Amino acid sequence: MEAFNNLMYGFGIALEPINILYVFAGVFAGTVIGMLPGLGPISALALMIPLTFGMEPSSGLILMAGVYYGAIFGGSTSSILLNAPGVAGTVATSFDGYPLAKQGQAGKALAIAAYASFIGGTVSIIFLMLVAPLLGRVAVSFGPAEYFSLMVLGLTAVVSLSDKSLVKGLIAAVVGVMISIMGIDLQTGTERFTFGTAHLLDGIEFLVVALGIFALAEVFYMLLKGGGGKEQPRNAIGSLKLSKQEIRQIAPPVGRSSILGFFTGVLPGAGATIGSFLGYSMEKRLAKDGDTFGKGNIKGVAAPESANNAACTGSFVPLLTLGVPGSGSTAVLLGALLVMGVSPGPAMLVDRPDVFWGVVASMYLGNIFLLVLNLPLIPLIAKILDLPRPLLLALILIFCMIGVYGMSFSVFDLLLLLGFGLLGLGMRLFGFPAAPLILALILGDIMEESMRRALQISGGDWSIFIDKPISMWLLIIAALSLVLPLAKKVMVKARG
Amino acid sequence: MTRLNSNQVIALLLAVVSVGYLAMAWQIPAFPLPRPIDSDLFPKVLGFMLLGLSVLLFLEKPQAQDVPEELDPEEQQLPLLLRPWTRVVITALALAAYALLLVPVGFVLTSVALVFGLAAYYGYRRHWINFATALGVVLGLYLTMTRIMGVYLPTGVLPI
Repeated sequence: MEAFNNLMYGFGIALEPINILYVFAGVFAGTVIGMLPGLGPISALALMIPLTFGMEPSSGLILMAGVYYGAIFGGSTSSILLNAPGVAGTVATSFDGYPLAKQGQAGKALAIAAYASFIGGTVSIIFLMLVAPLLGRVAVSFGPAEYFSLMVLGLTAVVSLSDKSLVKGLIAAVVGVMISIMGIDLQTGTERFTFGTAHLLDGIEFLVVALGIFALAEVFYMLLKGGGGKEQPRNAIGSLKLSKQEIRQIAPPVGRSSILGFFTGVLPGAGATIGSFLGYSMEKRLAKDGDTFGKGNIKGVAAPESANNAACTGSFVPLLTLGVPGSGSTAVLLGALLVMGVSPGPAMLVDRPDVFWGVVASMYLGNIFLLVLNLPLIPLIAKILDLPRPLLLALILIFCMIGVYGMSFSVFDLLLLLGFGLLGLGMRLFGFPAAPLILALILGDIMEESMRRALQISGGDWSIFIDKPISMWLLIIAALSLVLPLAKKVMVKARG
Repeated sequence: MTRLNSNQVIALLLAVVSVGYLAMAWQIPAFPLPRPIDSDLFPKVLGFMLLGLSVLLFLEKPQAQDVPEELDPEEQQLPLLLRPWTRVVITALALAAYALLLVPVGFVLTSVALVFGLAAYYGYRRHWINFATALGVVLGLYLTMTRIMGVYLPTGVLPI
């Protein structure tokens, strides 16, 4: 009953005309940016942050959340029509979506993706409403030692679950923390790594790094890979209708994958991408016609699409209740919230219920908007994929530049943005994952503060981190998350 | 002498960076009042971690994903100004010029020039559509940011 009352309170906020507009703008922008091959949800979020300047935090988060789940929703369109996933979380969708499109059934695949995403998103919001307050109550007892360990776990999980080298992931995370602690140390007033310039006294804004490492680096990468003019032909859409038998076929996978996806999203490090692959492989194993997966099986579209949207919503649980993001995308969301002056965490449910329940209620609305955008309007929206690539790249560049300048009014930051764009390109070319860097950038100074506060409480005794059971277990899991992939590698080598 | 692989070259660069970082960390002044940990501890831990990870990277054999893919041979045959790496360099230079000219010349002019110029350089040949899009988007952004969001953008030489 309490959850229902809170939800009604949330609807009171989400249904304000201006917030309805923000939900629509967010999911529309997310759908469009998510659809464009190469630009994932992190770029979409980073590009949209400047729009939240001066907004009410609840409105800002409603907009940004819409961009995030809109990008996951929209990513399926390019996966199905072009076999070029706009978002990593929709790669699994292309396994069966693209073969369906090649068989002239792109409309059917898009319709399945839209229904599955809608149900995955909606089911997971119900779980979010129920699980988040419970976790919030547990998290109230967390002290600085537990927070420090939780953040260490968040970082190691993101590093270990990335598909790239573990060492490179850790390097990216360390560099991210290094960047985050630049500037004046707020506890002592000491300058650190400012190189004597006043521009760095406040440190480096996370938006400069996020836009540089993701959006700008992506443009540079596309330029290297022939982004100058080559357009990819896309499949025609065709009919969007589904038969009753097809609906009966996809219903069980959608239900199962929605639940699986939500709980995958809650785990640190495992977001929409892992959720979608887990959903896909689970259904492939369970299906009697598993051998047709990869050749245009409609269940192979339904499962990853419901799982990735559910995981996207699930990832809001640690962000909003613990204040610790579990992925690069939610790290950018946390950054946006911090810019708006809101610190998510267990206290937010009590201090700022408008932000939490407003965004939860807005998700219901957003999912309905997305269904409308992705079903009757999809033939129209898919025309965005025909936008000339040279013009698109030039426009992304200007959005990046104006996003940074509009925040800091600093030419120095524009040059830094360029530097981070080139760094991001180098990272991409040499196999360094970018998500750990951005997560570490957001968490770095909070981690340091938690560590120092914990040590202040213990009088400098480091055993505080293992004396507290929750902290100890979090650190053990963090260590295991790094050791297990290595152990697995060694075992595979020994066998082979 | 054996040639270093890409991981080893990056590892050496990172090792140099970490040593420089550690040297700077040691110069962080101590806080006058005694505290369990001071401002320099965390950076020192980070510096040593990066150094250790550089050693591990040096020993790690690069996988396929750690080496840049070959660029399209057809694109490599293009005139120098249109080759992939040249596109990146020219874009970077254009962005640097944009940053430096933004305040003196103004947001509208520099932004229209950047969008129009780069789109044309990347190969978009419908110049009128290019110009109309660049002008429309930039003016739209300018008016949204200055009139609705109250964000100041440099007017430069234009009296708007």
